[in-house]
Amino acid sequence: MAELLSNIGFLQEGPFSIPRWEAVFQNLDLLWAGMLVTLLVASLGLALALALGVIFGVMSASHWRAPRAFTRGYVEFFQNTPLLIQVFMLYNAIPILWPALFIPVLAIGIIGVGMYHGAYISEVVRAGIQSIGRGQLEAALSQGFTYVGAMRWVIIPQAMRVVLPPLTNQAVSLIKNTSVIAIIAGGDLMYAGDSFAGRFGHYGPTYVLVGLGYFLLCFPLAILARRLEERTRVA
Amino acid sequence: MRKSVWLLLLALVLALGTLSLVGCGGAEEEPAEEPAAEEPAAELPADVQAILDSGVLRVGVKSDVPNFGLQDAATGEFEGMEIDLAYALAERIGLTAEDVTFEPVTAKTRGPLLDNGQLDVIIATFTIKPERLEQWNFSQPYYQDEVGLLVKKDSGIEGLADLDGKTVGVAQGATTRDAVQAEADAAGITVNFLEFATYPEINAALESGRVDAFSVDKSILSGYVTDDSVILPDGFSPQDYGIASKLGTDGLTEFINDMLDEMEANGEMDALLEKWGLL
Repeated sequence: MAELLSNIGFLQEGPFSIPRWEAVFQNLDLLWAGMLVTLLVASLGLALALALGVIFGVMSASHWRAPRAFTRGYVEFFQNTPLLIQVFMLYNAIPILWPALFIPVLAIGIIGVGMYHGAYISEVVRAGIQSIGRGQLEAALSQGFTYVGAMRWVIIPQAMRVVLPPLTNQAVSLIKNTSVIAIIAGGDLMYAGDSFAGRFGHYGPTYVLVGLGYFLLCFPLAILARRLEERTRVA
Repeated sequence: MRKSVWLLLLALVLALGTLSLVGCGGAEEEPAEEPAAEEPAAELPADVQAILDSGVLRVGVKSDVPNFGLQDAATGEFEGMEIDLAYALAERIGLTAEDVTFEPVTAKTRGPLLDNGQLDVIIATFTIKPERLEQWNFSQPYYQDEVGLLVKKDSGIEGLADLDGKTVGVAQGATTRDAVQAEADAAGITVNFLEFATYPEINAALESGRVDAFSVDKSILSGYVTDDSVILPDGFSPQDYGIASKLGTDGLTEFINDMLDEMEANGEMDALLEKWGLL
């Protein structure tokens, strides 16, 4: 085994050599701290995105004009500007324009990915609702359901099956997109990796482990979603 | 279900393996080069000869540090003391100024760009440190600077002691963080750090009040002073700038050292520093 390893050139010298892996593994706590921040921002950001997505999705599928127009504005704004700029503005421009509104960096991360993916999720939800035949809503309304009640008890349960796969895509991208807060010194996994690689120079193993960290967060979610999808299909 | 999980994991392992192989290809292909110490002085060391043969000297420089390496936004031309050093090196190798290609680097990108063979040398306010000497070759110092602090005038901060409990913005991959930390420890105060990828980002964070001080080498700070901000008189942790090349290119490093020695002796170095107002 040792002889085998000694024949692998890149483990002997260069950015991926064994001593560098050792140095990174000895300081794994620094990356771990970043992983926890990423987990926090991703889970709260996902909760916010789902809440906004469902509310705006229902609004944009409604037959009233005002909520539809409002939702359109929200979705177009967040879908057509880079998340990076939104986050950078929240971080640097808001304190200059309105000094009283000083948002802590973790909150910026949560609001940033929450609003951004909320816009995408609302489109997913709208498409899901519209995929359910109009007759379903009319039937529910004729049975005395309110609009919200019909949505809650008749339309959304059926739409869930349609929206689950694209919803998972959004959740996975949301987790990966939390890495933008690295540029505003957010303390997340990407920031921890950048900082660690910068201070000690072992960028090879560092970024491999950072990538693995994101994979470990995203992969179970994809598995879970596939399970849920199978279960809804059976039901 | 289970089968697909294993397939995915296998794919990941393969992808990572390929990535690391690609990343290190350069290191494997290049045979270990012997320093050309025994050869007659007139002949170029093998690693310098290789640059001459390639016909280009690829230099990593700063694009945002006035007087050292600054890229003119209008013309795209680089200028500064370190740019002139690159021209001097090219000439000594036997190339002309036209044969030099400049690549803007940051504290974060310069190491990898040397390792993967995209650049021959880095002349980019690169501080010589013991840990870095294990990863790259460094020439002898060509400039010494000290770490300084830029603060907003209305912050009331007048010296390092006033930074107790405050936040200092530093560049990722720079020596500044350790230098300020050591100075803070000595002064018995605590400071927090936020790291950013580029100097303009740190400056923006200073403007917006996200950090209380912007810290980096004083020569770099001088480019960011505005009517509202001021560099504190404190200066600490002298930083020696060296010309870096890939680890093991000892012939090239020696060649650069000879050049720096000669420039010191014949007054060229002083003339260069004076030209860029760095004396």
